[in-house]
Amino acid sequence: MQNKIEISNLKVRYGDIQALNGISFDVHENEILGIIGPAQSGKTTLLKVINRTLEFTQDTTLEGSVKLDGVEINSIGDVHGLRRRIGMVLPLPVGLPLSIYDNVAFAPRTAGLRNKAKLDEIVERCLQQAALWDEVKDRLDSLGTKLSGGQQQRLTIARALSHQPEILCLDEFSIAVDPITTMRIEDVLKTLKNEMTILLVTNLVQQAKRLANRTAFMLNGDLIEIDETDVIFSDNPSSQSTYDYVNGNFG
Amino acid sequence: MKRSVLIYQSIALITLAVAFILFWSFSKGTPFVESGLTFDETAADSYSVLQENLYRMVPILLGSIFFSIAIAFYLEEWLAETSWIYGIIAQQITILASIPSLLYGLLGLYFFVLQSEKGSFFTHALTFVLLVMPITIQSTQKAIRGVDISVREAAFALGANRWRVVVDHVFPNAFPTIVAGICTAISRVLAITALIIIVYIWKEHTLQSGDTFNIPSSVIVLLSFALLSSVISSFLEKKTNLT
Repeated sequence: MQNKIEISNLKVRYGDIQALNGISFDVHENEILGIIGPAQSGKTTLLKVINRTLEFTQDTTLEGSVKLDGVEINSIGDVHGLRRRIGMVLPLPVGLPLSIYDNVAFAPRTAGLRNKAKLDEIVERCLQQAALWDEVKDRLDSLGTKLSGGQQQRLTIARALSHQPEILCLDEFSIAVDPITTMRIEDVLKTLKNEMTILLVTNLVQQAKRLANRTAFMLNGDLIEIDETDVIFSDNPSSQSTYDYVNGNFG
Repeated sequence: MKRSVLIYQSIALITLAVAFILFWSFSKGTPFVESGLTFDETAADSYSVLQENLYRMVPILLGSIFFSIAIAFYLEEWLAETSWIYGIIAQQITILASIPSLLYGLLGLYFFVLQSEKGSFFTHALTFVLLVMPITIQSTQKAIRGVDISVREAAFALGANRWRVVVDHVFPNAFPTIVAGICTAISRVLAITALIIIVYIWKEHTLQSGDTFNIPSSVIVLLSFALLSSVISSFLEKKTNLT
């Protein structure tokens, strides 16, 4: 299987605090990679390194290599183009001060798309994929920030899908979403993995078990283990701490 | 009490005050101003005073506010906080903003009243700009810093460049706070203008005994601006209620 992302000896430090201690692994094309681990294990930092939004955090040092399709991401000059290749959903919904329609159409417009019919089609498709279309189709002109928390999170997912990314990073996407809607989105994700690579950071280990082809377990900035999901959730993962974590013995 | 209720009450009170002064003035059937409270002696009634001062204040006000906002965005979004230029400019702005408005008033008084009989457009503008710009820049900077980092990160993550992030996301989020800062700056100007007018009246009174004085014409100018400021603030607050 072809590697989409290759991470080698990645170290990240916020001031004096070491967030990632030299982790190395590959992400395969068109897979869902679940990343689990307790708080402060470096999961979100890892996603921020991949879409280069870590650059907005001051006093950060980064070492090691992250390659996307074999190209070192830090050597890519068009950082905005790089970010358009990666969809990002953050744990808490971030409502942009735009209408629901414009929230979803923002990224395609930024990429230069002006065709109204095409934009309409993208907005409808993405809102349907995010399980939000039925609830907002009659009020696309109202402010996205006026939606409820769960709806805003689904709007964020629709926005992340709007620029048809090659990689979709989901960071605790279901925190603010009800269980039934979460299941609907999970079904969409299973379909989407045919079109894109998905990195699923989650505290819900059962969600990783349901969705991920492979799962990585991180702890205190270290990658403890990465393997097929069935292996990680079996009685015999490589590391005892992985077994303890997925079985709720700690964390 | 809700903020919007307070704003509506303030507007209502100011409107009543202006209406009363206008009614009282016109019912007298006499020219409103007998002594030159405006800096232009050709303006002989309250309407002319208002018009004259509006013509004078509005362009300077809009210009200084526009440049203040532009400077604040440049400092916060494009100039690195660690750069030495940022340090120097920020320090100068802090010094200017912390000078009591009384000193600006005295400066204005010196140029308006003591140096020149009528005052020049340049001296008006300079005092006005010195009063308005530092405080507007500072309040705009605070408004920009108040926009959550997650908004910027979300917009950048969609592939937007800095200009689009600022125009489409940071500015709309910061706008209500920026407007509040502008209103504060205008209030500062109005307060010091009132002081200058009182000193001006005193000067006219002592130097040209026998003159009659009519404060309402000046008060009406100030109240009109206060009313305008409140209305704009209220309107923009409603229009820009984004969260």
